[in-house]
Amino acid sequence: MEAAKRRRMPYLFLSPYLLFYAAFGLFPIIFSFYVSLTDWDGIRDKTFIGLDNYLHLFNPNSYFFKSIGNTLLFVAVSLPLQIVLGLVIATLLYSRAVKGRAFFQLVNFMPYIVTPVAIGLMFNLLFDWQAGVVNKLLLHFGFIDEAIYWLGEAFYARMVIILMLVWKGFGYTMIFYLAGLANIPKDLLEAAQVDGATGLRAFFSITLPLLRPVTMFIVITGIIGGFQLLEEPMLLLSGSGMGSSSAVIGGPDRCCLTAVWNMYDTAFGSTTRYGLGAAIAWGLCLIIALFSFLGVRLYKGDAE
Amino acid sequence: MKMNMTLRSILATTGIALLSLFSLLPFYIMIIMGTHVNEDLFRKIVLLPGSYLIENFKTVAASRFDLAYWNSFVVSAASTVLSVFVSAFAGFAFAKYDFKHKNLIFSAILLTMMIPSQLGIVAYVIEMRYLGLSGTLMPLILPWIANAFGVFWMTQFIKGAVPNEVLESARIDGCSDLGLFFRIVPAFIMPAVTTLSLLVFLWSWNNYLLPLIIINNPDLYTIPLSITTLGDAYRTDLAAQILGLSIGTLPVLMLFAFGSKSFIRGLTAGSVKG
Repeated sequence: MEAAKRRRMPYLFLSPYLLFYAAFGLFPIIFSFYVSLTDWDGIRDKTFIGLDNYLHLFNPNSYFFKSIGNTLLFVAVSLPLQIVLGLVIATLLYSRAVKGRAFFQLVNFMPYIVTPVAIGLMFNLLFDWQAGVVNKLLLHFGFIDEAIYWLGEAFYARMVIILMLVWKGFGYTMIFYLAGLANIPKDLLEAAQVDGATGLRAFFSITLPLLRPVTMFIVITGIIGGFQLLEEPMLLLSGSGMGSSSAVIGGPDRCCLTAVWNMYDTAFGSTTRYGLGAAIAWGLCLIIALFSFLGVRLYKGDAE
Repeated sequence: MKMNMTLRSILATTGIALLSLFSLLPFYIMIIMGTHVNEDLFRKIVLLPGSYLIENFKTVAASRFDLAYWNSFVVSAASTVLSVFVSAFAGFAFAKYDFKHKNLIFSAILLTMMIPSQLGIVAYVIEMRYLGLSGTLMPLILPWIANAFGVFWMTQFIKGAVPNEVLESARIDGCSDLGLFFRIVPAFIMPAVTTLSLLVFLWSWNNYLLPLIIINNPDLYTIPLSITTLGDAYRTDLAAQILGLSIGTLPVLMLFAFGSKSFIRGLTAGSVKG
């Protein structure tokens, strides 16, 4: 009797988690797959249309691949920069060549925890062509003759987004590398020193390979997180007039439309195509899964 | 050699100081802009504090910013308490019991961490509407309760921090399993609770997409939503808007300043071992 009761205990402890996950995690995922097979605006009756929504993703009008391309571009440029910057600072801080490690760690990590909405708006104001500090300083010191329309031209707008992502993210990679460095046994580096490997040599042949798992973790989570990019570009480009009709979708020529922004805009923004929105979400998830799978395969293949 | 070391140290410190400046500059400009009268922002370069802070603050206060603060606080606090409790409950089961399919269930939960949170969002909105919850703050709390990262975090911690001998002897003294969880376990897991609380609070506080889609009633706006609508209320008053931005980000910055060690420990968990 007692033993039977005890065997049930772990399930009792697990049940709140499983119940809430089933109701508000799993169910919406499955139901949204069903929605993705329909034509529906959330109000009128659903019409079952099979895979039409998924086929529509291949139509350029859906901006599906364009938005994924944009997102990939942002990740592909900003992630390596974040990794290099974060690694360099972490190494310097860890080597004790720099005093005030705790302070620098805190300061550089701060951008990461600030509300993403605020980051987008902040950069929107900094790069405003009229009132923005960036243009004013550039004009003042004579680097440019007339104000640059930062957020109105595709190339510049993308540059600002990448700058914003690096600004936000390098402190985050820094703390991961600091944690990784703390895990490297000291005697390994000392042994290398005895053998004559110092400075950069020791860094590249010992420290860097040992940090591989950390780098791998940052790359995989960076890609998954990068695919979910939304608030920063959205607020950067539409500014505070979000609710108003003048809000721009995706910046000039949709050059900065990210995948999730596209989903939001399709289902809840300029159109209310719930079915297509759900199909975008599922398509995106499949692509993320593919990337994660390839990443893990690559990692395992290399390690052998 | 010694000279060389000092030089390197100076170079390294300068480099890091410059990068830190890069991290801090936007914050600085944001704070400074909030202390000037709006027209000055367009006319000149403002790099030093102005004298218009109080006036700008009055404008912000008039926009019911306090209500958004309260809503954000309610949502984040409720998400945090529920999430930590449910995670600890599940973590206790994984850490201290053996049961059928334990590893399978645990792996499945870890796998869900990889699923982007937007996957089910379209259906979630419909679900909330159907349940009649879209006019409340509940939709912003419910998704946090079953938190896969929380379960992982609590399992690891309880495994290492709660000694089996203590649990065994409490059992011999007639303590029930629920009694173990409520009376014995809490004493050992406070550090993990602090870390997880800080993280969930931060995630929930910063959340934007869900409130943007679900909340229509301005009385229920959370801080991120409220910040974006500041511009609508006074379209041209940039200075007041920037001040609102600063005020809105203050709580997380303060929370972080107090708990930065816990934050960092939580975020880096699992990365080191791959």
